Amino acid sequence: MVKGAAVSPEQATVNNELRVRLRDMLEDRLETEVEPRAYDDNTTQSIVVRLQELAPDDYENKLRIAGFTLMPWRAGDEIESACATCMYYVVHRRFCELPELMLPVEPEWSCRLWRI
Amino acid sequence: MANILWLQGGACSGNTMSFLNAEEPSACDLVTDFGMNILWHPSLGMELGDNLQQMLRDCVSGKIKLDIFVFEGTVVNAPNGTGEWNRFAGRPMKEWVRELSDAADFVVAIGDCATWGGIPATAPNPSDSQGLQFLKRDHGGFLGKDFKAKSGLPVINIPGCPAHPDWVTQILVAVATGRAGDLTLDDFQRPKTFFQSFTQTGCTRNMHFAYKVSATEFGQRKGCLFYDLGCRGPMTHSPCNRILWNRVSSKTRAGMPCLGCTEPEFPFFDLAPGTVFKTQTVMGVPKDMPEGVDKKGYIKLTGAAKAAAPAWVEQDIFVV
Repeated sequence: MVKGAAVSPEQATVNNELRVRLRDMLEDRLETEVEPRAYDDNTTQSIVVRLQELAPDDYENKLRIAGFTLMPWRAGDEIESACATCMYYVVHRRFCELPELMLPVEPEWSCRLWRI
Repeated sequence: MANILWLQGGACSGNTMSFLNAEEPSACDLVTDFGMNILWHPSLGMELGDNLQQMLRDCVSGKIKLDIFVFEGTVVNAPNGTGEWNRFAGRPMKEWVRELSDAADFVVAIGDCATWGGIPATAPNPSDSQGLQFLKRDHGGFLGKDFKAKSGLPVINIPGCPAHPDWVTQILVAVATGRAGDLTLDDFQRPKTFFQSFTQTGCTRNMHFAYKVSATEFGQRKGCLFYDLGCRGPMTHSPCNRILWNRVSSKTRAGMPCLGCTEPEFPFFDLAPGTVFKTQTVMGVPKDMPEGVDKKGYIKLTGAAKAAAPAWVEQDIFVV
């Protein structure tokens, strides 16, 4: 799909179905690498490189390596990382546009690549 | 008739190339319409050898009145402070720079290298380079912080890598036509008329900045380049989106992040691997905020802006 293009009804259906599938995986206690968080560029890069090695439809490993959780991650008093505030999150499509992920997500989810 | 002399120190000639592309006014207009006499320029000068040396000596002595001395490139001090790595017309360039600056009514530094050292002065600065009156953010540079040209003005800094051609010619016209008094300079001696606003001022991506929609690839028309691709537009003072390049575009309009090349710290983070074209963050929050914005306010604003973002801002609204 072309980035920035409007989503067709068919694509929206596909995304909704996949989102449910991803939620099921996480609810089934898929063990994800929530730490170390990508708080510095070296860690970010090492995670991104691992994601780049995955097939586009290897959703389980995408969730695992990116460290997805169903709840926002809290760091200190100020920072709560949730997809809703992440720069890669597209609000109306409920979609993560980080090129290495490209996943339908929910606003309250979180991953360790969060950046605001 | 204003006499202009343009010399090059530790330079790549990028600002000369830029100057020769000027359109409003053009380099030719300076001569034909504004009565400037270009005594010598690395690409335009006619004098060679002994004749050039004599002309430079005459400028220093006052036999030839030097109205505007333009310098492009760094002042090279290596090795061991001698400046021998950059010889010109029979002696280290730095010696000419000192004497010509003292002789000129106005001294104009063109480009990052002449203003604050630019890329050559990046650590470890092997050529021991300095800008004319700054070394990066430190006031002083080669001429010292108290230097003033005969007109009473310090060095007029026109930074950029390169400087936009029209910034150069318009400032030269202002000075040569007796309107230097109208110039007000900022703390880094940049003309405020060009460097008071931000690169972001006039950027076509401002709505994406406002609603926190990020671009994730170069050339992508949707999205702001600040959040992920290291764009320094909100922190950089330049008119790149007011006075367009080649009259048609700018880096950010073309989907290329601003590198902050009009600021003294350029190139940022000493070009360490992974710092170019990538927004540097601490715990996911940008290390460098838009000017005047604090971290707490930024986080709150982002939450509110994303919650309020309309659907169209997430789509490519530009139709070719």
